[in-house]
Amino acid sequence: MQVERHETDLLILGSGGAGLFAGLHAHAANPDLDITVAVKGLLGKCGCTRMVQGGYNVALAPEDSVERHFMDTIEGGKWLNNQELAWTLVTVAVERIQELENELGCFFDRNPDGTIHQKAFAGQSFDRTVHKGDLTGIEIISRLMEQVWARRINRLEEHRAVELVRGRGEDRISGALLVDMRTGEFRFVRAKAVLLATGGGPTMYRYHTPSGDKTCDGMAMALRLGLRLRDMEMVQFHPTGLLAGVDTRMTGTVLEEGLRGAGGYLLGGDGERFMGRYDPRNERATRDIVSRAIYAEMRQGNVTPNGGVYIQMSHLGPDEVRRQFKGMVERCADCGFDLASGLVEVVPTAHYMMGGVEFGPDTSTGVPGLFAAGEDTGGVHGANRLGGNGVANSTVFGGIAGDVIPGWIARAGSAPEPDPDVIDAAVDRCLAPFGKPATDFHAIRDRLADLMWDKVGIMRTAEGIREAMRELEGMARELETTGLPATTRAFNLTWHDRMNLESLVMVSRSIAAAALAREDSRGAHFREDFPETSDLSTSTYTAVRLQNAALEVTNEPVAFTHVRPGQSLIDNTGRPLAKAGE
Amino acid sequence: MSENDTLSVDIWRGGEDGSFQTFHVPQRDHQTILDVVTYVQKKLDPALAYRFACRVGMCGSCAMTVNGEPRWTCRTHVSRVARDGKLTIAPLRNMPVIRDLVTDMTPFFEKWRRATGSFVPSATRHDPMASVDPASAERTAADEGIECINCGICYAACDVVAWNLDYLGPAALNRAWTLVNDERDADRTGHLRAVAGDAGCHACHTHQSCSTYCPKALNPTAAIAGLKRRTVEAALKGGL
Repeated sequence: MQVERHETDLLILGSGGAGLFAGLHAHAANPDLDITVAVKGLLGKCGCTRMVQGGYNVALAPEDSVERHFMDTIEGGKWLNNQELAWTLVTVAVERIQELENELGCFFDRNPDGTIHQKAFAGQSFDRTVHKGDLTGIEIISRLMEQVWARRINRLEEHRAVELVRGRGEDRISGALLVDMRTGEFRFVRAKAVLLATGGGPTMYRYHTPSGDKTCDGMAMALRLGLRLRDMEMVQFHPTGLLAGVDTRMTGTVLEEGLRGAGGYLLGGDGERFMGRYDPRNERATRDIVSRAIYAEMRQGNVTPNGGVYIQMSHLGPDEVRRQFKGMVERCADCGFDLASGLVEVVPTAHYMMGGVEFGPDTSTGVPGLFAAGEDTGGVHGANRLGGNGVANSTVFGGIAGDVIPGWIARAGSAPEPDPDVIDAAVDRCLAPFGKPATDFHAIRDRLADLMWDKVGIMRTAEGIREAMRELEGMARELETTGLPATTRAFNLTWHDRMNLESLVMVSRSIAAAALAREDSRGAHFREDFPETSDLSTSTYTAVRLQNAALEVTNEPVAFTHVRPGQSLIDNTGRPLAKAGE
Repeated sequence: MSENDTLSVDIWRGGEDGSFQTFHVPQRDHQTILDVVTYVQKKLDPALAYRFACRVGMCGSCAMTVNGEPRWTCRTHVSRVARDGKLTIAPLRNMPVIRDLVTDMTPFFEKWRRATGSFVPSATRHDPMASVDPASAERTAADEGIECINCGICYAACDVVAWNLDYLGPAALNRAWTLVNDERDADRTGHLRAVAGDAGCHACHTHQSCSTYCPKALNPTAAIAGLKRRTVEAALKGGL
């Protein structure tokens, strides 16, 4: 098989907030550096940064502090966070938001007096979320995208990465094998450094929010490379995804959090509110609690025609709903639903993966020359991500990667020659389906979605997870024997669907393995057989690694490098302790 | 509708010199044009090429020509556009066809760059954010155009682009207009200069197709009219 060769200094995989920030910062650090952004869709258009509705958490106000943002992040993460990463997040976010506004030209909403507006967002003790209406992600990614277009940064659009490749006989990365999706040809891009910034996206669940191109390819490649993934059991479910049946891609997409915040009701199939039975805050309880309550109602059969619950806004006045939630009302109307005055079916939907590749505050990984940032990584958010910390994470660490990598390249020098055996094996794996009898592998994808939803979803038991692990292994074997029709490889979505499914099965196995290993409940992970949160001061995190085709899980102690459970960096008025005595 | 209702769907196959192929797709209560295309790929012809990403009108990847009009396929309900159970789905106009329903959007993005559709900073990441009156005339003008998601629908709808492939087109000019009105931008005259030439704002014939078809209800025609006015004013003052 012919594999084209391409050379670059820095290869960035992914074009969300992490990838594009890395490109801009690396270019600024060394304008002579040859930088290539490779992405599965169109630059800046696929992926999830663009889909951010909420905003960007950052401590800017005089009454707020990075210490306070840090404590909210750690308490939200149920003390599982890598505290160095979380500290980096909250401190660098200040400079990053100013860069977004001052250097990239983002339009963030203002107060009437001209100062920046910061809104309230769930789980935070201070109103610190900078935003552009409820379309903050579009603003951030559009401004990043046009700045990248304006620079000498190479773009390989509709190029999907299929393997990270080390140097021959070396530990250091040599580059990545890509498929040019438009031609179906393979292209090896040799690079002095590679940034893994493809994003996560738990699309292996029946109901999910991320962009349709997201299939955990980065994490699957990291596992095959031998890297450890941490906190993989931590999958965040958003309580209100649109539910419109299995035949539409609309199903699973998010109806925003603000609907509940504004006073929206959730009704069971019987037409009655049910949240009062689960939490005194009713519909305004946190994402995890509302998701579990809806799931419990669904299991009891108190469901709508499509098997979910209803959200009702009409009691707030249809005109008011239309005014306050214009985007959501229009989106529902385009799809045939009346959010302002009718009932809309909703269901909890898989939204974000807190887990991912273990990495350091300088974005380095266990493989020299391979860096990682964004949702591909784990440790920043711990057991739960605060709304508004996601795009902060990708832009903070993407920018750091761009700051650090040019210096690393200058020290490390030219890229090693790739291990040809790894390239050959990857090409064979990608092409294997074409030689086999074509079968309907979409049915396997449907089974995967049901299995993860039922057994490794919102509520879990050891028995269910073990059953899922057995079935996932069976699916992996079944996939090996299912083929594809012998059609062109050029823009062959069905071939890519098939590769997507391989990534999803692999990463689902790591989620299940980590979920079995965590025998307590905290954050996004709820074990019906271990419903209590264990002692925080002896917290451990899970780390999954692929070893001889089997997944190995270890429990690693959390290092409380800034603050220990029971302590705080702020006093009870929210002021930093160091400053409290001033 | 009954479970047995079937849509007759003509889909463009091949490149620029391709042709339509007819498929029969079951009609559903909740079904977008993207769902129809997905059904064809998953059930009828695995080789069908199309592009989509976000599924909810945020990314601007899935626009196609549906019954002759440019539309986001993810947010277009079949019942709003099907005529007598018939649909015709083709790639967007004014862009090279890669295959089937996929176009090469590179020329469209390149024009955004040529219109200098990117911010020129006047402050750095170490400075506090500028105070901006959200009700000022300029901020309001910029705000009205800023939510463009660069889906290319206006560009595909524009007859001037069809006649003159050098014309920058509505989306790039709309972005330029937001920058010309951005008091934080350090080179507003530069943005005007970039759109003042023959292929710039003055090439617009005010057909208003861009504003008619913009799924975000933006008004590029008004933005272009603003640019025409401002470039003339600047030229008269010798500022361009």
